[in-house]
Amino acid sequence: MPAGRETRAEVAVRAADDASEFERARRREEERPLVEAAIRGSAAAFEALYRLHVGHVYGLCLRMTAHPATAEDCTQETFVQAWRSLPSFGYRSAFGTWLHRIAVNAVLAHGRRRREATGADRPIDEVVADTLADPSLGEDAAVIDLEEAIRRLPPGARDVLVLTGIYGYSHEEAAAMLGLAVGTCKSQLHRARRLLGERLALEEEP
Amino acid sequence: MTIRPDDDRALEAALARLPRSVDPPRDLWPGIAARVEDRPGRSGLRWPWAAAAAVVLVVASSAITASLVRRAGTPVAAGPVAEAPVPGTASTAFGPGHTLDPAYDAARRNLVDELSRRIDRMPPSARQRLEANLGELRRASSEINGLLAERPGDPLLEELLLATYQDELAVLANASQITAAADLRAVADETEKRIPL
Repeated sequence: MPAGRETRAEVAVRAADDASEFERARRREEERPLVEAAIRGSAAAFEALYRLHVGHVYGLCLRMTAHPATAEDCTQETFVQAWRSLPSFGYRSAFGTWLHRIAVNAVLAHGRRRREATGADRPIDEVVADTLADPSLGEDAAVIDLEEAIRRLPPGARDVLVLTGIYGYSHEEAAAMLGLAVGTCKSQLHRARRLLGERLALEEEP
Repeated sequence: MTIRPDDDRALEAALARLPRSVDPPRDLWPGIAARVEDRPGRSGLRWPWAAAAAVVLVVASSAITASLVRRAGTPVAAGPVAEAPVPGTASTAFGPGHTLDPAYDAARRNLVDELSRRIDRMPPSARQRLEANLGELRRASSEINGLLAERPGDPLLEELLLATYQDELAVLANASQITAAADLRAVADETEKRIPL
């Protein structure tokens, strides 16, 4: 295939992206009355917003924390924080994007509290992930699928990959959300891609 | 899944195909609802911040009190009140959905009031510098509050905002201390004139 030509899969992804963009624009218009009602203090409107967005928020938290119970806590914290902060929501971004920023902060705050509680410089799962990243260390590195491979990435690399690769944020946006320099964000993504590629290639070996 | 380690485009396409939405295994709303039923509009400051603020406040207040006691030996009656408001005494906030602890706010108002009564007795150049410094700090806190509206809970912004409030309190406390000392010297001079030693 000549360099620069899109594969069928990539064309399909782009078409899906266009459809998603249309869907997001439609959703923004639909949810605006709900946001306004929630700002005025309507818990019912806020519950409707929760129903609309909980899947995306939980998906983001789950992929960043790699731990279902922690992802549930962070999701709840995100919506509680959003409720408290709604009076200051100024439509400078889409409501969903605003929620994602709160979710990222909730995940980062949870990670910080956990490190403070354990006194560990590095989270245990980061150490485990680094160990598993070395294919010479045994058959455990043969992970099952892409989600599993993402789950086992070191947290810093995983955060960047989730935000840019799955949720479509730019390097600048992801760096701002994570409190990183853009250069750090790019190098973490490079690291994540390398580890994922190695892991998925390893999976294919007989 | 076959993706070569060096095939970034295939990996990007595979990532983009993953569902962005994942349903949680249970309904999380009841736990949220229990915490959102009564939005007070603006909630109180979480305690570590209130504690940190209180420490600064105690230090600032103690410095003023110590100065008064050390220099006069007796409590000083308030002199004639000259109403010269300190510019830009906007109310403080702690990001969206939060206000500073009421005790912190009350003490800050006291410092501002005290300074307002005395600021006209400061040398013009000192007063100008003070007003410029306070204005700068209040512009900074206003900007950080605006950013916190976009990024609620951002730990870096929260730390920055607290530090800005602490700086403002320190400036207010120092200014109050200096003007109080000037008042005391004026009282002492007046006393010397009336009762020659």
